Amino acid sequence: MPFDDSVESLRAEHEALMQFLYLAPVGLVQAGIDGEIVMINPISAQLLMPLSPDGCLTNLFTALEGVAPELRLQCAQYPQPNGMVFEGQHIHLRAEERRGVPQILSFTLLKLDEARVMAVIQDVTAEVRRERQLRQSDAWLNAILTRISDYALAAIDCEGRLCDWNDSIARVTGFGEHIVGSPYSIFYPHDAMTGEHLFDRLREADANGWSMDEGLRLRADGSQFWCSALIAPLPDREAFGDDPSAPAYCLILRDISDKRAATEKRRQAAFCDHLTSLANRRAFFEAAELELERAAHTPRSLALIVFDADHFKQVNDRYGHPAGDRVLCDLANVLRDTFRAVDTVARLGGEEFAVLLPSTGIDQALASAERLRLAVSTRLVAADGAEIAYTVSAGVAVLDATAEGNIDLLIKRADEALYIAKAQGRNRVASWTPELTHHADTPQRSRHAG
Amino acid sequence: MTSATPTFDARGLADILDASSPEQLDALDFGVIGFDADSKVQRYNAFESQAAGLSPQRVIGEPLFTNVAPCLNNFMVAQRFEDAAFDASELDDTIDYVLTLRMRPIKVKLRLLASADSTTRYVLVQRR
Repeated sequence: MPFDDSVESLRAEHEALMQFLYLAPVGLVQAGIDGEIVMINPISAQLLMPLSPDGCLTNLFTALEGVAPELRLQCAQYPQPNGMVFEGQHIHLRAEERRGVPQILSFTLLKLDEARVMAVIQDVTAEVRRERQLRQSDAWLNAILTRISDYALAAIDCEGRLCDWNDSIARVTGFGEHIVGSPYSIFYPHDAMTGEHLFDRLREADANGWSMDEGLRLRADGSQFWCSALIAPLPDREAFGDDPSAPAYCLILRDISDKRAATEKRRQAAFCDHLTSLANRRAFFEAAELELERAAHTPRSLALIVFDADHFKQVNDRYGHPAGDRVLCDLANVLRDTFRAVDTVARLGGEEFAVLLPSTGIDQALASAERLRLAVSTRLVAADGAEIAYTVSAGVAVLDATAEGNIDLLIKRADEALYIAKAQGRNRVASWTPELTHHADTPQRSRHAG
Repeated sequence: MTSATPTFDARGLADILDASSPEQLDALDFGVIGFDADSKVQRYNAFESQAAGLSPQRVIGEPLFTNVAPCLNNFMVAQRFEDAAFDASELDDTIDYVLTLRMRPIKVKLRLLASADSTTRYVLVQRR
């Protein structure tokens, strides 16, 4: 073969390979172990550019820092010399109103050796939507098919009050006959249910044929057990006419304490932040979506508080990242102790936390935020012989019963309030007012305000 | 058209490019991708071809945002063209971006050009 031909065929082959990579419908990245990008294909840029805080694609972990802050740490801590660090891990992006904008990325990271990693990035928004619907059906099947040691069966009326009492209720919960006429929330710890949620579950049972939740429930002696609770509408309730105290639903409480460890582990992996074990972005946005759906049906106020650790970069710079992580864990503990079981306490990224408070007005939300701020200001975190004092700033916003809104609007307002709290000197709580949005000079994200 | 070679940030550049021959586009020191109302690539100059490592034959006639430059298929670029077409409005904006030329991340400036009275829209690429 003449020399020119072989060079030409090599060139054509190279171009075809290049185009193959250009057109691959998944994101592919090769990077150093520290995330420095060596090679990257177009779909990666399509998905990562809108997220990249610095507008560069120099470092993979930096590009994803705002939505998956723990990647760098998890990659560094991966113990094997090579292997799969993550496989199909879901990264939740900020919910966008616009259709067709990716909301969930799947992220796979393969460690090739001590110096190199490869990543696969895909938009799986539509796929996850479909799976969520399937998961509901799975929960229902699981409830039917799982062997159970004991259950309590109770009838409740259209207002959620217990219509009768029987031996099964006594066996599982220890409650006596006097509970007839009480709302079924007596089985819930006091901070795990709101008055509105009590009705939400009944309405969801009407709409879907059943409503199920899992969590800690209360016995008569105050002790708690891990329980799966199912509410289903009774089929022939029309027979009772308009009698408001007639049985309308059946409530089944199953003690599944022995299965708690297994379900908790699964739940942790999918819905918890790696570092702090608080809810992750996915859990936060799912909870927000559910609360807003409920509020759209039965209006009530919904509060959001965003917290940001003050001067956190300085803590990292001065004491190192492990000490910074300890501060974040400490803050997570104070958050857990301060808020109710019904609230969703989440880490949204970096040193940025959010708490969603159902059925909560502005005064109550401000008081809770202030309680948290005060508690944090007294904390000292031990790190390598030093004791680190830290503070937080908070922004509070409320969607009241009459207002229409979505989670993006609520987050935007809470962020604007947070920006004010930062600007006024930090270690304080500010609430959103309409003037804040009209003076639209606040930056969109305050994450890097320190 | 003047004989001087137009620069990346020249005014009225879309009209100059519309009137340029393929040879004139090839003489420019920045990348030119011209595409029609269906987003099919119509013009692709030598600078861009060299940077991307793709010959014009592989690119001309292909849909830009899915088959040629999927990295631009997001709200920062593709959506801007869609919005401009929907509103029948003018688009002339320059943004910082990162292209994945030959699978290397390359920092560039993109100039996005669309107007209601021209059928060809342009993405222009200059290294920064």
